Amino acid sequence: MSGVVRISAQLAWRNLWRNHRRTVIMLGAISIGAWAMIFLTALSQGMVTEMIRDGLSVLPGHVQVHQADFRDDPNITNYIPIPDSEIEARLASGDFTEWATRINVPAVITSERETRSVTLLGIDPEREKGFTFVELDTIDGRFLDDVADTGIVIGRRLAERLETEVGKRVVIMSQDVGNEVADRGFRIVGVYRASLTSYEDNYALIGKRTAQELLGVGDHVTEAVVMGDDYRDVSAERAEVESLFAGEDDVVINDWKELDRYLATTLSAMDGFVLIWVVIIFLALSFGLVNTLIMAVFERVREIGVMLALGMKPAAILWQIVIESMLLLALGLVIGNVLAWVSVLPIRDGIDISIVSDGLEMWGMSNRLVPDLRLRDVALANGVVIVLGFLASILPAWRASHYDPVEAITKVE
Amino acid sequence: MFLVLRLAWRNLWRQPKRTLLTTGAMVFSNVLLIFMISLQFGMYGLMIENGLKVFTGDLQVQAPGYKDDAKMRLTVPNVAGIAADVRAVDGLDAAARASAFALASSEDRTYGVAITGVEPDHEPEVSSLPGLVKEGRYLDAPDAPEIVIGRLLARNLKVGLGDELTLLGSGVDGSFAAAVVTVVGIFETGVPDIDRGMTAMPLEYFQDMFYLGDAGHMVVVTTPTLADVPAAMTAVATLLPAGEDLVVLDWDTLEPGLKQSIQADLSSAIFMYFILVVLVAFSVLNTQTMSVLERTREFGIVMSLGLKPGRLARLVLLESALMGIIGVVAGALVGGLVTGYFSVYGLTYPGLEEMAAQFNLPGVMRPRVTLVSLFSGPLVVMLFSVIASLYPAMRLYRLAPVDAMRAT
Amino acid sequence: MTAVRCVDLCKTYRQGDQDIKALDHVSIDIESGDFVCLSAPSGGGKTTLLNAIGGLDRPDSGEVWIAGERIDTLDKGELADLRLRRIGFVFQAYNLIPVLTARENIEFVMQMQGVPPAERRQKSEAILEEVGLGGMGGRRPAEMSGGQQQRVAVARAIVSQPELVLADEPTANLDSVNSRELIELFKTLNQRHGTTFVIATHDELVMKHARRLIRMLDGRIVDEINQDDA
Repeated sequence: MSGVVRISAQLAWRNLWRNHRRTVIMLGAISIGAWAMIFLTALSQGMVTEMIRDGLSVLPGHVQVHQADFRDDPNITNYIPIPDSEIEARLASGDFTEWATRINVPAVITSERETRSVTLLGIDPEREKGFTFVELDTIDGRFLDDVADTGIVIGRRLAERLETEVGKRVVIMSQDVGNEVADRGFRIVGVYRASLTSYEDNYALIGKRTAQELLGVGDHVTEAVVMGDDYRDVSAERAEVESLFAGEDDVVINDWKELDRYLATTLSAMDGFVLIWVVIIFLALSFGLVNTLIMAVFERVREIGVMLALGMKPAAILWQIVIESMLLLALGLVIGNVLAWVSVLPIRDGIDISIVSDGLEMWGMSNRLVPDLRLRDVALANGVVIVLGFLASILPAWRASHYDPVEAITKVE
Repeated sequence: MFLVLRLAWRNLWRQPKRTLLTTGAMVFSNVLLIFMISLQFGMYGLMIENGLKVFTGDLQVQAPGYKDDAKMRLTVPNVAGIAADVRAVDGLDAAARASAFALASSEDRTYGVAITGVEPDHEPEVSSLPGLVKEGRYLDAPDAPEIVIGRLLARNLKVGLGDELTLLGSGVDGSFAAAVVTVVGIFETGVPDIDRGMTAMPLEYFQDMFYLGDAGHMVVVTTPTLADVPAAMTAVATLLPAGEDLVVLDWDTLEPGLKQSIQADLSSAIFMYFILVVLVAFSVLNTQTMSVLERTREFGIVMSLGLKPGRLARLVLLESALMGIIGVVAGALVGGLVTGYFSVYGLTYPGLEEMAAQFNLPGVMRPRVTLVSLFSGPLVVMLFSVIASLYPAMRLYRLAPVDAMRAT
Repeated sequence: MTAVRCVDLCKTYRQGDQDIKALDHVSIDIESGDFVCLSAPSGGGKTTLLNAIGGLDRPDSGEVWIAGERIDTLDKGELADLRLRRIGFVFQAYNLIPVLTARENIEFVMQMQGVPPAERRQKSEAILEEVGLGGMGGRRPAEMSGGQQQRVAVARAIVSQPELVLADEPTANLDSVNSRELIELFKTLNQRHGTTFVIATHDELVMKHARRLIRMLDGRIVDEINQDDA
């Protein structure tokens, strides 16, 4: 049998180059198709990765613990009914990359000139330094020192809107645990930058202890968060947090996919998009592929007849055509993959797309697009082409193998 | 000419399978292009409409700098008067607004909110928000201590119709501003940010509370269609009081994200469309190169009879154009039907709702079939098909009749 | 021993709205080692008979036996195997595979039979020598004359030493010099290897060399001449 396979492969290869113009044109089409599949996928994946990274940075915490009503009613009265020290002890006992507890409440911030509404975060700066959306290296002034820091850190945009700066005072008003207005003056110790300007507008940070005092919640927080190693799959971290808080009635545990449906949907929709894109490109290619094969078979009817007459089995004829098609596809894929790699290489550090930055911010994206060439997507693109290409070749190949040798040999050119 | 056309047509059907497959590739791409372009038109249209109709309007009169930094003191003087002047222009609707941030407290809860002072009589003409009041009523008196708030805010504040809210903020001069108002209406737009953070109060009461006098922050203007915006801008500019420093801004300037997000989406879509078109062009290139090659002998004979290569080249191009026309017609037919179906019955898929909500869009998409969406893609495909067959057509010029006749 | 036995073969084709009797109750026996010529005008049924003997075509009725085995009842795969191992074919023209060289064309059948490469090589070289094409094994069909191509086809047909070689109008595309040489080659091979030859032709030159000449007309055998002197 190996003799038959060998001769089929040999014939397939030689036949491929018999009409080199046609083969080169088809190779061009397949290469461009494969390039487009992989290149666009890398860009899109890069976009989604960036989006999710930015999105998750403002929602720091892949798995979050809240009091049951907090998400509907983000009010300080809905604090987690477990003392903060106890929560910290539990999280510290777990095997997490990063974790933190914090207070997260809506507030109003007033400068000498302006009033704005903000989200007030009372944090433990030591714990959050590892994953905060605040770009620590470009901060004006300083970041918070510790949980008892009496200063406040706000975003650059907010500082502009409030016409204030480092060293000046602002007043924070929020609601305390007794439903009374709690207010307190803060000195701005730092003004931060973030990848998305909307963050700079929305988040003001103070020390956790200071926040607890302001809001009168004693040793309590509104949320506890845990960071996972890979944001794509945080099920292990989630399970561990669930076990740490097992038996607590008034506490809910969510992962980011539940907390931000938009990001989670985008992530899963992306996989669907990649598949659809690859299949569409393949379909556009398949017309040319089938066309080429039908023509190739058509031109060779007579010699196929001779091979059948000489005793070649129809199956061997079928394989010969299929192998020819697979060789064509494989060559095109190799070129396409190399092209894609070559075109991703010079932009692997990202391309500046700030020209449409306001629009991208609507999508939750920053100004840089770093292509994300993933083995899984490359394999998917190549796999789809090979599998569907195989299926598309079967019909012309099957027809070729079922010629009647007598009619085939006597066919007039 | 008619003869050439008939000849081209017959030539196409000498290899019916090949022609069918090539036109099949065209029809496939054309249907896809029509569907996608129509879908995008539908989406962009909705994005603009939803983005502008709820609140922003088509153009606004503001103090310079207010757009980038909505500061209390960047005011428009005699704001209601200017709005009235604009309303006098044929076709334009206008309403005056003022806005501020304040702390809103109910009995149990306190939240920071954005308050808009509106003219109850005119606001419904420029914004869809008044129509979205689901409980109670919209504002009616220009100076009553009343407020309408979003559904989510009402829930967060734990208030209902008739409950009172205490508002604390700072006035235009930095002084303390406070008021007690009654909730008379609750609206629901479906956009969480608006339903959670937006409130509206009568303009005059608002001006009293924040010590604005007759000043406000913007005059919102709507035009019959977006195409009327440039003309309306000129008209509005002439109405502005002399000596006051005011600017007229169109929607694109007010909501740069809207246009840019359409542009960003469009550019990645165009990349995809281009690839599709190129792949079809390759198909045509392949077919026509083969078809010319097969006919070398035949071409040699007619050339030796005195036919110029240019005529033959035109014949080859005409064949491609014919395939392109079949592609356009069949594509427009099938694409129009498929797209038309979805434009009536809508299209949705799992996850669309979450994604669409980010852009203030409903969870069901409706493609918009227009002449442009129906024919732009297919015509580009046809153009590229003809361009692709330039190569085989040009080869004819290098054909020597004697060699050609000998070819098998 | 009987190499080929046909019993009462019938085959009808439809052409347009007419039924054509290509084989009309044909019965023949061909002895092993014979050199038989089937001669008939175009449409006389000779190709149909040849195809029936070669297992390329199935008769409507009757029996075909090759070396004592009935073949008209075999399925497609078995027929392919029969052709591969026991019958050699030479067709009118263009019967080489254009992308393979002369040697590869000759080895093609052996390769499918699973003959090891070294043996294939040795056999193909020998047979190339034998048909007078020594040193031309590396050429592709397009680089050879019609006569040379037919020699390659003959070499391919006999290289694996089939019991039977069937040739359908092998000289139709050749001039008289090449035709004569091809016939000489057939006869030599017939005598040297004892291979049975059945040749369908209407070439007088070929008929003259046949040991047994069977004339057909309208699907019937009309005449049989033994030319032992040929």
